[in-house]
Order: sequence, then structure tokens, then C-alpha cells
Amino acid sequence: MLGDILTPDLFASAIRVATPLALAAIGGTICERSGVVNIALEGMMLAGAFAGVAVTYYTGNPWLGVLGAMVISSLFALIHGLASITLKTDQVVSGTAINILAIGVTGFMMEVLYGHPGNTDPVAKLKPVFHFGGPTEGFVGQVWNWINTIVFSHTPIVYIAIFFAIFGQWWMYHTTWGLRLRALGEHPKAADTVGINVILGRYYAVVFSGAMAGLAGANLTLEQVGSFTENMTNGRGFIALAANIFGRWTPGGSYLASLLFGFAEALQIRLQSFRDVIHIPPEFFQLLPYVLTVVVLAGVVGRAVAPAAVGKPYEKG
Amino acid sequence: MPETDSKKRSISRVLRSALRAMLLPLISVVFAILVGSLIIRLAGYNPVVAFQALIEGAFSPKRFGETMVRATPLLFTGLAVAYGFRAGLFNIGAEGQLFMGGLVAAYLGVALGGMSAFAHISIILVAGMAAGAAWAFIPAILKAKVGAHEVITTMMFTFIARGIVQWLVAGPLKAPGPVAQTEPVLPSAFLPRLDSILPFHVPGRASIGFVIGLAACVIMWLILKYTTLGYENRAVGFNPTAAETGGISVAGTTVKALCISGALAALAGVTEVLGLHGKLFEQFSSGFGFTGIAVALLAKNHPLGVIPAAILFGGLSAGAGKMQLEAGVSQKVIFIIQALIIFFVAAEELAKLVLGRERTEVADVAG
Repeated sequence: MLGDILTPDLFASAIRVATPLALAAIGGTICERSGVVNIALEGMMLAGAFAGVAVTYYTGNPWLGVLGAMVISSLFALIHGLASITLKTDQVVSGTAINILAIGVTGFMMEVLYGHPGNTDPVAKLKPVFHFGGPTEGFVGQVWNWINTIVFSHTPIVYIAIFFAIFGQWWMYHTTWGLRLRALGEHPKAADTVGINVILGRYYAVVFSGAMAGLAGANLTLEQVGSFTENMTNGRGFIALAANIFGRWTPGGSYLASLLFGFAEALQIRLQSFRDVIHIPPEFFQLLPYVLTVVVLAGVVGRAVAPAAVGKPYEKG
Repeated sequence: MPETDSKKRSISRVLRSALRAMLLPLISVVFAILVGSLIIRLAGYNPVVAFQALIEGAFSPKRFGETMVRATPLLFTGLAVAYGFRAGLFNIGAEGQLFMGGLVAAYLGVALGGMSAFAHISIILVAGMAAGAAWAFIPAILKAKVGAHEVITTMMFTFIARGIVQWLVAGPLKAPGPVAQTEPVLPSAFLPRLDSILPFHVPGRASIGFVIGLAACVIMWLILKYTTLGYENRAVGFNPTAAETGGISVAGTTVKALCISGALAALAGVTEVLGLHGKLFEQFSSGFGFTGIAVALLAKNHPLGVIPAAILFGGLSAGAGKMQLEAGVSQKVIFIIQALIIFFVAAEELAKLVLGRERTEVADVAG
């Protein structure tokens, strides 16, 4: 039975399911490294998911949909920046307001554009990037099937997420900009003293996290589902936040942690088809990602240290 | 008569500070409605017609009963979130604790028979609170011991609670029939309608759950103001380091605060099941736990402020249907207005610009 469960499809689906989490988690990492808490990932992802479908619906081009998703999520992020950086609103409260706003705006716009609540009409999806033939016979064929399915079967945004994980990790630790970003969240006063614009830097980081959450939303609607359902993000923004913590506020770590959550999700979907063998209600499997999130937080948080100035508005002088 | 004179003066001072405390929330609501109108206008509808229908649907004498129905769970969840905030904790998972309260009410409402209504309801209220407290306990312990952020953990526990209820109402607790719901609770568990026990006519389906909610607000206000428990809660919320130095256990207070918050949120689930639906199904809460956050913020986390805030949001929800019917505006606009109210209430710098620095400080201290 184990062989029926641990198939190449399972690992490929783990990577797929991890993608929106990873994109949002990397965005969250950059945002929190700059000193701004972002629990609004959930709402920004939802707004991006809807914008992606709506733009694709009217233009017929899913790439324009991806762009639209990133722009709209960035606008939501800008509101979060305005509230929490400039107006010094409590960052968690502002994030909550963004989450509620996103539910309202997506639901409202759905009725304005589509005339009904619930689901949008399906739109064109982004296609997998690669189409390789290759051997199908014997041991070589089997090995190639594993590689082809796990590595080469994915849609574009899945690879974009992997790019951001690797590039972001290098960027954060090996460039001046990365160093500046870390200074913003660890010791903004010192950063200010050496001439870094703390306020502007934080705005860049918050808007970037919005664009990443938008990309995550676009992945959900334009690569996975093909349409938008109200509240379809279903807590992914919060799980992404936990992945960012588990990944110790690094892009690479965020990706790997998301992969763990993705694997749990892929496994529970897979196990549901074995319900006659396992005799556990499928509802319990669906809870696995949420339980895992709590367990992970309980296990690592004591040892993972958040950026020192995260959550505190910067007061000049 | 110097004594009555000073009493008079202190009463007028209390009144004035209460009015000042209410100024910012009032301005926030007005701003939110203005921006909401703009959005409705941009979407091509008539905001005047929309808000007229909304207000009529919420606060006309005939419809106010429905506003009380919608406000009842918000009194509890708003109070729950506010009590957490006063200890510096953000119980974003009130919805999950509400689900546990509803679950216990639906189960004991059927399982406990042969007792007086008073005993039956009392037992369920207590058991429901215990369930809510228990559901908040793990996030509370994780917060106190390893610092796991309660926003993520209580949120996850909300999804878990919803999943469990979804499973139970479709499986082990399912009543016979095609619909995934529990058996109706026994008559002895049903909360009496206000209309049937009050000497005057109360329109609609509002139950004594509303009165229990009002009482809870007053009780929590007294607890916060006059008891050691409340004092420690406020001290930890105000400055945990100073509280610890002063001999208050921050970890212990954190656990207590989140569990009390959970118990209060669970009462929303209990009153929804016993006072309104009479049974449990997956969609029995329309996000009351999350609206409770907006209620608490609008109330500036003051237990007595929760009462008008809950009635306002209850009214918005009650009037939304009429608005959709008469102006064609989607009910979802209520969420937008809710978010805008949160922004305007919470943006301190904005308040300072509008009210001047000194006045907002008064607003923060009052209560």
C-alpha cells in the first residue's frame, strides 16, 4: 500500500500545493524582516486570486491576470503600509482589517461583475511549462517518470516560487540591499543613522509582500482551480505566516517549511482515497495542515528569534 | 451641600469623559459610512437609497428585534476579544471557541433530559463556557510557555473546530433526514423569547440570550474594574515587564485571560443554538467571531462600549438584506464598512490629526 501512496504524483502535488504558501511566506519574510508584521497575507492572497480571475475573464490572457493579481494585492499592501507605517496603527489590527476588507471587496466585486455570489465562471489556466517525451520502458523509464513528474510537470508560477526562494536567500545574505533590509527590522535607528530611509524601505517591503501574495493567489486560481470561490484561501495566509516563522524568517527556509505543509496537504488528499482501508473519517485528514501548523509553532518558536523591531512603528529622532 | 455638589461634579465629569471616549468611534463610523457610500456610488448604485434601506432595516421599531437577534452573539464575541485585548492578547480565534460552545449546547440540549428549564439551561451555559475555555487553553499555554503567537494558533484551532463540527453534524450527531444537522434541542433547553417573558411587546425572535449578553458586559466591566483578576489583566496588557516586576505572573495571567476570552466567545455559540436555531449545523455562525474583533475595536475594548458596538454591527447585518432588496447593493458591502471602521478607529495618528493629541489620551484612559 505504501507504494500506492508514495508515488511521484504525491511529491509533485506536494510541490504544487506548497507554492502559494511559499510565495506568501517569502513575501511575509521580507515584510517582517523590514519590521512590519503582516497577518494580511490571507486577505491579499484572496484579493489577488479574485483579480487574477477577473482580469483573465475580461482579457482572455492569464498572464495579464497574473499581473492584475499582483497589482491589486500590492494596492491592498499599500493600504497596510499606509496604516501601519505612516499612521502607526497596530500592525496586527491593520492586517485584520485588510483581511476583512478583502472578503468584502472580492464578494462585492463578484456580485458587481458576475451578478451572483459564490463562484466565478472558469477561465483559461496557465499551462505546464515543459513537455518532454523520454523513455517509458523498464527501469530507466521508471526513473525518468519520477524526474519528469516531480521536476518538469509544473506550471510557471511553481518555478517562479522556487526562483524566489533561491534568489531571495542569496539576496538577503549576500547583497547590500539584503543587509539593509535586515537592519530595518533589527535596529531601525542604526539603519537610519547610516542613511537608510526606514520609512521608504518598509513601504518597499510591504508592497513586495503584497505582490508575492498576489502571485500566490494567481497560482491558486489561474494554475490550480481555474475559477474563484469566495473565501477560497481558507487560512493559507496564516499557514504561510507559520511557515515563515518555521523557516526562521529566511526565503529558503520559508520555502522548505511550505514544502512540509504542502506535503501534509498532498498526503491528506491522497489518503482520502484510501478511506476504506484506513477507517478514519476524511474530515480528520483535512485538519492535518492546521494541526501540523500548531505543532510546528509549538516546537520551534522558542528557538526561532523574530526580528527585534518587528511590530513597532518607527519614530524618528 | 458640598457633598452632593462634588457628587454632581464627579457625575458630570464621568459623563463628559464618556462622551469624549465615544467621540472617536462615532467619527470613525461616520467616516466609514462616507467611504462606503463612495464605493457604492462608484459601483453604480445609489448610496442614499442603500443606506436609507439599511438603517430602516436595522433600527425601525418593527425591525429592531432582528437587530437584537444579530447583536446577541456579537455581545459575547466582542466582549471576548475585548477582554483578550485588555491583557495584550489578540484572540482572533473567537470563532473556533464559539463553535465549541455551539457543539456542547447542541449535544447537551438533547442528551440531558428530565430537568427544569432553569437547571438545563444553566448546566449548558456553564459547560459551554468550559468548552470554550478548554479550546483556548492550548493556544494559551503555547503563548505563555514558548511564545507561539496566539493569532496563528487560535486561527488554526478555529479551522480545527469547524472541521470537527462539520464531521459531527454530518456523521455521529446527525439527525435522521437529508440535511447535515443535529436533532433539535429539548424544549427545556430552549432560551425563552424576550416577548414571552417581558411585560411589554418585543418584536421578532430575540431571546433572553440578548439580556444575558448585556449582563455579561456589565459583569466583565465590574471584574476588570474592581477585582484582582481584572487588575492583573489590565496590568499585563498595559506593560507586561512592569507587571512581572510588580509580582504578577505574566504567564498565568495570559492563560487565564485567553481562557476567559474563550469562555465568553463560547456563550455566543450556546445562545445561537439554544436561543435561535435550536440545533447545530456547519453554517450556524456567520463569522460572528471575526465581527467580534471589529466590535471590540470600536468599543475601544471597554466592556460597556461593546453594547452599542454590538448593536451597531448587529443592525448593519440585519439591515443588509433590505439594502440588497431595495437598492440592489451586495450585502458584502457590510464587510467593507466593518474594515473601514477598524481602520479609522485604530489609526491613532489619524485620530490625533482629527481630535488633537490631548483628547485621544483622555479617550484611552477613560474606563
